[in-house]
Amino acid sequence: MIRKILHIAARECRLMYGNTIYLFCMVLLPVFTVVFFTSLLGDGQPTELPVGIVDLDNTATTRNMIRNLDGFQTTRVVAHYSTANEARLAMQKGEIYAFLYIPKGTTEGLMSSKQPKVSFYYNGVVMLAGSTTMRDLKTICTLGSAAVGKTKLEMLGKTESEIMTFLQPIKIDLHMLNNPWANYNVYLSASMIPGLLMLFIYLLTPYSIGTELKFGRAKEWMEMAGNNPLIAIAGKMLPQTMVHLIVFYGFEFYVYHILQFPHPGGIWPILFLGLMAVLSAQAFGIFCFGLMPSLRMSMSVCSLWAMLSFSLAGATFPVFAMDTFIQGVSWLFPLRHYYQIYQICIFNGFGMEYAWINWVCMLCFMILPVFVLRNIRRAMLEYKYIP
Amino acid sequence: MKNLWMRVKEAINDLATIWADEMKMCIKDEGVLIFFILVPLAYPLLYSWIYNNEVVREVPVAVVDLNHSTLSREFIRKCDASPDVNVTYHCNSLAEARELMGRQEVYGVLYLPSDFEQLLNRGEQASVGVYCDMSLMLTYKAIYMTAMTVSSAMNSDIQIQNSSLTATTQRDEEITTKPLDFEEVPIFNPTSGYGNAVLPAVLVIIIQQTLLLGIGLSAGTAREKNRFKSLVSVKEHKNGLFRIVGGKALCYFMIYAVLTAYLTLVVPKIFSFTTIASGRDLLGLMFPYLLSCIFFGMFLSCLIRYRENVMLIVVFTSLILLFMTGVSWPESNIPGFWQGVSWLFPSTFGVRGFLTLSSMGGGLETVEPEYAALWIQTVVYFLATCIVYQVQINRASK
Repeated sequence: MIRKILHIAARECRLMYGNTIYLFCMVLLPVFTVVFFTSLLGDGQPTELPVGIVDLDNTATTRNMIRNLDGFQTTRVVAHYSTANEARLAMQKGEIYAFLYIPKGTTEGLMSSKQPKVSFYYNGVVMLAGSTTMRDLKTICTLGSAAVGKTKLEMLGKTESEIMTFLQPIKIDLHMLNNPWANYNVYLSASMIPGLLMLFIYLLTPYSIGTELKFGRAKEWMEMAGNNPLIAIAGKMLPQTMVHLIVFYGFEFYVYHILQFPHPGGIWPILFLGLMAVLSAQAFGIFCFGLMPSLRMSMSVCSLWAMLSFSLAGATFPVFAMDTFIQGVSWLFPLRHYYQIYQICIFNGFGMEYAWINWVCMLCFMILPVFVLRNIRRAMLEYKYIP
Repeated sequence: MKNLWMRVKEAINDLATIWADEMKMCIKDEGVLIFFILVPLAYPLLYSWIYNNEVVREVPVAVVDLNHSTLSREFIRKCDASPDVNVTYHCNSLAEARELMGRQEVYGVLYLPSDFEQLLNRGEQASVGVYCDMSLMLTYKAIYMTAMTVSSAMNSDIQIQNSSLTATTQRDEEITTKPLDFEEVPIFNPTSGYGNAVLPAVLVIIIQQTLLLGIGLSAGTAREKNRFKSLVSVKEHKNGLFRIVGGKALCYFMIYAVLTAYLTLVVPKIFSFTTIASGRDLLGLMFPYLLSCIFFGMFLSCLIRYRENVMLIVVFTSLILLFMTGVSWPESNIPGFWQGVSWLFPSTFGVRGFLTLSSMGGGLETVEPEYAALWIQTVVYFLATCIVYQVQINRASK
């Protein structure tokens, strides 16, 4: 039996070598994906986001405020506009993400204690840029407010610490666990890249089985396995699993070791999860082909599944905030379990038992092909390829 | 003169025949049908359903209150009463709360130290610890923002109490605590909804990706069926370049004119996303977008040898293209190299233009750079398509 498997594996190696699409989808494009995301998000946090100013007051006080705003790492004051309308137009054109509106008489109102009001507008369509600039603008307004209060209190002869306590009696002491920089590279690359690596596996697995039919090699293949579908599949998948594993571990080595993404969970969950991700994705691909032994249908279903899993993994929008039905559906996506295990065991460093249910689900995905082995055998021996 | 008339007539005739053949092919071929009809119709609905709730509300948090005082309870009560945070557990220690985080029962912890009220009463600064699970940015933001809002509300109460010595009237107290008032205005997406921000971009990308997949599949089939593995068949004498390219493009354009209307007008209405584009502007932008996508697809389809290969190459680009548009990662922070790469794809400009028109209510004149870029792409990809088709025709007639 082992000899048969190795035989088929050797044949598979020849097939993979002969078809450049394997080289592309197993190695080149996954590497491209890793490079793309880690370099695109290389900054970690968006910096120097363009912000506009509508300063109708134009006094030393307001100019000081604007200078302080420009000093923030995340914002850069790129333009001054004479009306709010012009600023809005610039925002629509995508030139700025937010603007600060200082009406005439602000400084005068401050001096005479009339509580003047400034406003800031930020673009809610580009969410990350909008919320980042909003945070800075809010800080600058609060600081502006505090500066006035501070002057007044100094006038009354209060000490520095008294003033700080007066201005902010309750202070928020924020702990951003395991990602204290709010690094988006850590956040997004850790969920998007494995999703794409799994996407290639999803597609390539039914592709490699289906092309046996398409190019009329199916009978030869089954013969080599003595018409035993388990041996046939095992032999065929073995070299692919190896390559996928190498690529996946290469990705993990790159992000956890070279880029030093936080991984307090240590090496074991990383290794286990890599193995599980590859195997469950392959198993899912085999299962899809077994259900619908047509190259086109199984690949279509796999690609739709893979694309949906980016949403249902719950990395960007949390699953618990979705409709109850969708919450249930999310269990059917291997990437969802991948992400759960990643965040519990690797990112937050809890023991593997905390995510036991997700490990079990991953195992269940790996068992799936057993149910369709007979179907695959029948397809290989009886079906003809229909384009 | 008559000769010319005959030729024009023949050209139109050929064009129509090629159009009809392609149309028949699209309807007969299940694979093409899936990507041309089923995916554009069903996928947006599915996505919209996933993001239907738009915002994250009532994020569960645990509280570790070691102070048990009126003020600490007030802080907790105010957090619990906010729309974004829900206090689900009270723990006696941080270790206990950490355990809850491991089981994903809570996504954050509020920690009130034992000297919280004493410090405040003594006129010193007290701190509240906020611990957030950073694997979900939206829950982190919800918890942190709530804690900030509650603390600043309580701060001004305390300030008013403390300043009653120096202030004479109530108005004076208000001004002392907040000499400069400010207002924050989120525009174009007033609810800060996640779906409202991301889905319009996804809709526009779906147009391009399904077109690439459908055209690629149909070209792959043609290659597999035709002799010599060429893209165009030799059987007809209708070998005029523009007839073939024009006839096929017309077929795709007609199908996608309907689908684009559905994706850009109907779907946003159903799920009540912000749509404030005027019909004229939308038409103006989507016309070059569709054309550039079609010619881009036809150009790429020449590289496809087997029909299934197109799926392997195209599907994964969807997510990468989405990131290149600048919807999730701001455009101003995309490295120059990737900016350049993104200009190759119609979706980059299509998405940016569509967001400006539909979500931000700009006119066609505000999207001038995108509009121009789409027309340039249309021309370039049209010429490229003509060249590769000419090569194919030459090869077929040999």
